[in-house]
Amino acid sequence: MGRSERALSTGPGAGLGESIERSEAERAREALWTAVTVYRWAALAWMIGLAATVEGGLALPGLGWPALAVAALWTATASTRREASLLGAWTELVLAFALVVLSGTVAPPGAVATARPFFATAWPVAAVAVWGIARGPFGGIAAGLSIGVALTLSRWTNEIPPWELTQVEVQTLVSGTLVFVLAGAAVGLVGRLLERSAREYRALIEVTMRARERVARSEERESIARQIHDSVLQALALVHKRGRELGRAPSVPGPEVTALADMAGRQEAELRALIVREPEAPSGGRVSLRSALEEVARAVDGIATTVSATGALWVPAHVGDEVALAVRQALDNVVEHAGATRATVFADRTSEGMVVSVRDDGRGFDYHEAGLQAAGKLGMLKSMKGRVEALGGAMHVASSATGTEIEFAFPVEGQ
Amino acid sequence: MSEKPRVMIVDDHPVWRDGLRNDLTARGFEVVAEAADGGEAIEVAREAMPDVILMDLQMPTVSGADATRLILEESPHIKVLVLSASGEEADVLEAVKTGASGYVLKSATSDEVAEALVRVGAGEPAFTPSLAGLVLNEFRRVTGGTARRPEPTLTPRENEVLTLVAKGYTYREIAEKLFISVKTVQNHVQNILTKLQMRKRYELMRYAIQKGLDRVPD
Repeated sequence: MGRSERALSTGPGAGLGESIERSEAERAREALWTAVTVYRWAALAWMIGLAATVEGGLALPGLGWPALAVAALWTATASTRREASLLGAWTELVLAFALVVLSGTVAPPGAVATARPFFATAWPVAAVAVWGIARGPFGGIAAGLSIGVALTLSRWTNEIPPWELTQVEVQTLVSGTLVFVLAGAAVGLVGRLLERSAREYRALIEVTMRARERVARSEERESIARQIHDSVLQALALVHKRGRELGRAPSVPGPEVTALADMAGRQEAELRALIVREPEAPSGGRVSLRSALEEVARAVDGIATTVSATGALWVPAHVGDEVALAVRQALDNVVEHAGATRATVFADRTSEGMVVSVRDDGRGFDYHEAGLQAAGKLGMLKSMKGRVEALGGAMHVASSATGTEIEFAFPVEGQ
Repeated sequence: MSEKPRVMIVDDHPVWRDGLRNDLTARGFEVVAEAADGGEAIEVAREAMPDVILMDLQMPTVSGADATRLILEESPHIKVLVLSASGEEADVLEAVKTGASGYVLKSATSDEVAEALVRVGAGEPAFTPSLAGLVLNEFRRVTGGTARRPEPTLTPRENEVLTLVAKGYTYREIAEKLFISVKTVQNHVQNILTKLQMRKRYELMRYAIQKGLDRVPD
């Protein structure tokens, strides 16, 4: 049964897949973010180094150094975060934009437009990369283009209006912009690829889980099919075949039809027992006394037997077996000797344990051990009594002309 | 056998309904209506006004227990006899608590079904040993009354009668054993059923209090 419950619950499987996708995508973004953080520190060091060694010093040190301090502050702040937020991406882009534009004013006039390393070009790459992580390749490209605009403006602030740039200077500007755009696009693409592979990974896991589930289900179906085939299908086939033959027969033999109906009835009960589960769960190693007694009632031929019980009545397996055997003997006895039409097996809880009674509407007998022994009828009764006494219980017999009630009372540990 | 009641059959299996109808008609019962579902049963019962409804429990949309409750709310004079498969003890008990007069297993013989129908039609509950076992167990559960209105429990005599029914004794045998009349046994059984239905009300009441509903369904 445990297997069927697991096989039927598809919910947790899908949930697991989702959490895998989320965690994989998160891990991918975190790895990129860590790389950007490291890069940002390296770029900051490079930028400070270049600014310190700029030929002739910074034009406006009072503006340049505080600007670098702001960049350093942001580098430190961003290091404490674990992923790119949209607000952080905007902040960093605005800072990078301002730094590039400002670099035109603080650098020696005309220095920005040359091809030699310029101190404010490395650090803004981090801002572009952050946009790539947060908004994919197009976010990265857009951020790269906006840094390109800042580069153009930096020529202006460096006292060279864009229209006065030489052809080489324009080429330097365009290639500088292209580097930013490419960086943004590349980081964005890598981020998207990592996410997609996480999604594919999840899909793969789902397929695997579904396949496993299918195997479990087909195993269960096979085991049920085996049980059904063993008895129910064969009985049905027989009922079908014999039923048709009897229908064609000129006179219908009553006992044979009854036997056929009985067989169908037993199969119905068995099939039902196969599919109906006990609603209450037994605690370790216990069996339902009611189920055990119902099984006995089904197995006994020759008398209509009803089982009634006050609940499932859980007992240790060996107690259930012994009591079921005693009841079986009692019912066999009824069939053999009592001439009864009905028997009822009733099981109930008591303060000390449980009590099971087997009652029939037969002719009754005189329960007198010596007399019964003389008549050779004591054997079965003694055997039942022995079983119950071995469990620490007792057997009582009350018999009259209208029927007999045999009662088995026995203790049940940890009831 | 006393007068035969007018019967309505509720079951979602057409083959089962046909078999039952043919069987009952052959035994002189008048089958006045049929329904394939609890919802349909409520409407059909309103028009056909049978004496006894033979009610299946597990049906699509509206269950037999729900249909029983709704039908009896509208027409308390109709009797409901549950015809259930084995393994549905909890549903049977629920149906009886909502007012069904008893139950017969689907594996019962036609004689037993006919006998139960006549009995229920005459206003007596059809109390089988298995049902008695379930009811005994139910009365041992604590459902919760209040100090002012304690939940109904069985008197020692009722407990005795119920246990004997569960053991398979007939009313006549019980009467002889306890030195009382058969009529008294019938009264005890009727009182047990009434208390069972009262417990259902207590359950509803407690549910309402737990949920903070100030109006108790009546």
